[in-house]
Amino acid sequence: MSRAVQPRARSARGRGSGMDRKPKAAVVVTALFFVLLYLPIVAVVVFSFNRKKSLAVFDGWSLQWYDAFFHDSVLTHSLGTSIEVAAVAMVGSVVLGTALAFGLVRARTRLGGAANFIMLIPLVTPEIVTGVASLMLFKGVGLQPGLATLMIAETTFSISYVTVILRSRVAELNPEVEEAAMDLGATRAQAVRLVTLPLLWPAILSSAILIFTIVFDDFVLAFFTTGVSPQPLSVRIYSAIRFGVQPSINAVGTLMLLGSIVLIAISLLLPRLLGRGGSGLDLFKS
Amino acid sequence: VTTARRSERLWTWLLLPGTLWMSAFFVSALGLVIALTFGRTDELGNPRFGHTLENVRGIVEWTYLRVIIRSFVYSLSAVVICLLISYPVAYVVARHGGRYKNALIALLVVPFFANYLVRMYGWQTLLSDDGVVMHRLRDLGVSSQFHILDTSGAVIGGLVYGYIVFMILPIYAALERMDGALIEAGRDLYGTPLRTFLTVTLPATRSGAYAGTALVFLPAMGDFISAALLGGPDNLMIGNLIQDKFFAGQNWPLGAALTMALMVLLLVCMFAYVRQTARDSRAAR
Repeated sequence: MSRAVQPRARSARGRGSGMDRKPKAAVVVTALFFVLLYLPIVAVVVFSFNRKKSLAVFDGWSLQWYDAFFHDSVLTHSLGTSIEVAAVAMVGSVVLGTALAFGLVRARTRLGGAANFIMLIPLVTPEIVTGVASLMLFKGVGLQPGLATLMIAETTFSISYVTVILRSRVAELNPEVEEAAMDLGATRAQAVRLVTLPLLWPAILSSAILIFTIVFDDFVLAFFTTGVSPQPLSVRIYSAIRFGVQPSINAVGTLMLLGSIVLIAISLLLPRLLGRGGSGLDLFKS
Repeated sequence: VTTARRSERLWTWLLLPGTLWMSAFFVSALGLVIALTFGRTDELGNPRFGHTLENVRGIVEWTYLRVIIRSFVYSLSAVVICLLISYPVAYVVARHGGRYKNALIALLVVPFFANYLVRMYGWQTLLSDDGVVMHRLRDLGVSSQFHILDTSGAVIGGLVYGYIVFMILPIYAALERMDGALIEAGRDLYGTPLRTFLTVTLPATRSGAYAGTALVFLPAMGDFISAALLGGPDNLMIGNLIQDKFFAGQNWPLGAALTMALMVLLLVCMFAYVRQTARDSRAAR
């Protein structure tokens, strides 16, 4: 009898503290995790304002490293290259990836299976393999490494992301809306352009910004496909780091962090701001 | 019927540009890597296609094999550490995050869109012998023989730092899907939090842990930045070898063979992973 009562007594006790009783060790681990997550970022930002060249002693605030960056024509030129490449890859991959997403959801041909398979390979390929493969392809067909090879490689690499993000959104669309437009006299292409695409704009914009950020920050693929000049910023940063301490890299790094964070925040908030289809965080949940 | 057929044709046409583009610039490129694995370099150092097994034999030599094994061990260690950190973090955010839940997830995701190189550079400057952390440790009386940078621990730590978000998010999603009443019931039945976790929470969120394992292991195996910036010359990973063969070393066929070795190793792991998850979901049914 008393054995039967015991668990119930425990459960009553458990419910009292129940959900609200925080596992202390886990909270400590979580707090520590967030501190370590931001520690190197904070270090880069703080030392970018350091008056001294030292990375151990902070010697008062100064903007000299930012000044150094903006007067370094090699670095500013690289910044331009990175923006150019990211913009082209963004437009290219969003156009190709969106079309592919529609095809994958709606085409009922055998080609769909093959297209899906091909689309998924880059997602399970380590970036260094993509880099090596692209390098060999460009050399094989005689394309000199440079701006064009960078743009082609980054576009190829980004298509799968766009398709995966948009595919679920396309699948969620109600086909009856399009059919209604067609009953009213629109062709299928007009119905897609006038009815379906406007519904998808938040997701499309959101993935476009995501791709811009990813490509702008990308190092591995850029490293394998870039020429000597122009070089994207991340590749310049890598060679600068390998030469040793370079405080102006802290300044560039801070500016890049700021840019990425602003863009990602916009990309996450966009669907909510436009009032459709939940928060952009859904992208990461599935 | 004709409208239906016409739109069917439209959807098929939409498949083509993307698929052709990917075939031209990705699938064919992977084909070249496979082909050059059996190639050689001519007297001028240019890569030539061929049908020799020289490069395949080359990578099973101990110099290269040990680097491949080391990459495997480092990546696996990174996965285990990620699992150990991710569960408490995901649990606290999912079950005790309250109204800050979304803000915490955003706080978690944002750094991973910041430049990987810059974040690793941040660690490099912090941990280097004349960096802030070592200065503080020396002041506390830690021997000057002790280093953090250029150790295997630093490389594994770098991998954990670089990819842990891919472990936390799927585990967090699994915890969110899980019925909280299960944990309450577990507490009633098993008592201690640890037993509740092992017998209730862990099995219920296994799918998330599996997904996270694959998502961390895959990029970790191909990473060369962590080893290059934090590891020094004695902790190179397979990615560093590949990079070297294509640039400083200029032995493309051997580089291609190493790339293939990486791909094959990952495919084997992926295959085992898919079988395991399939068996698991069948058992769950």
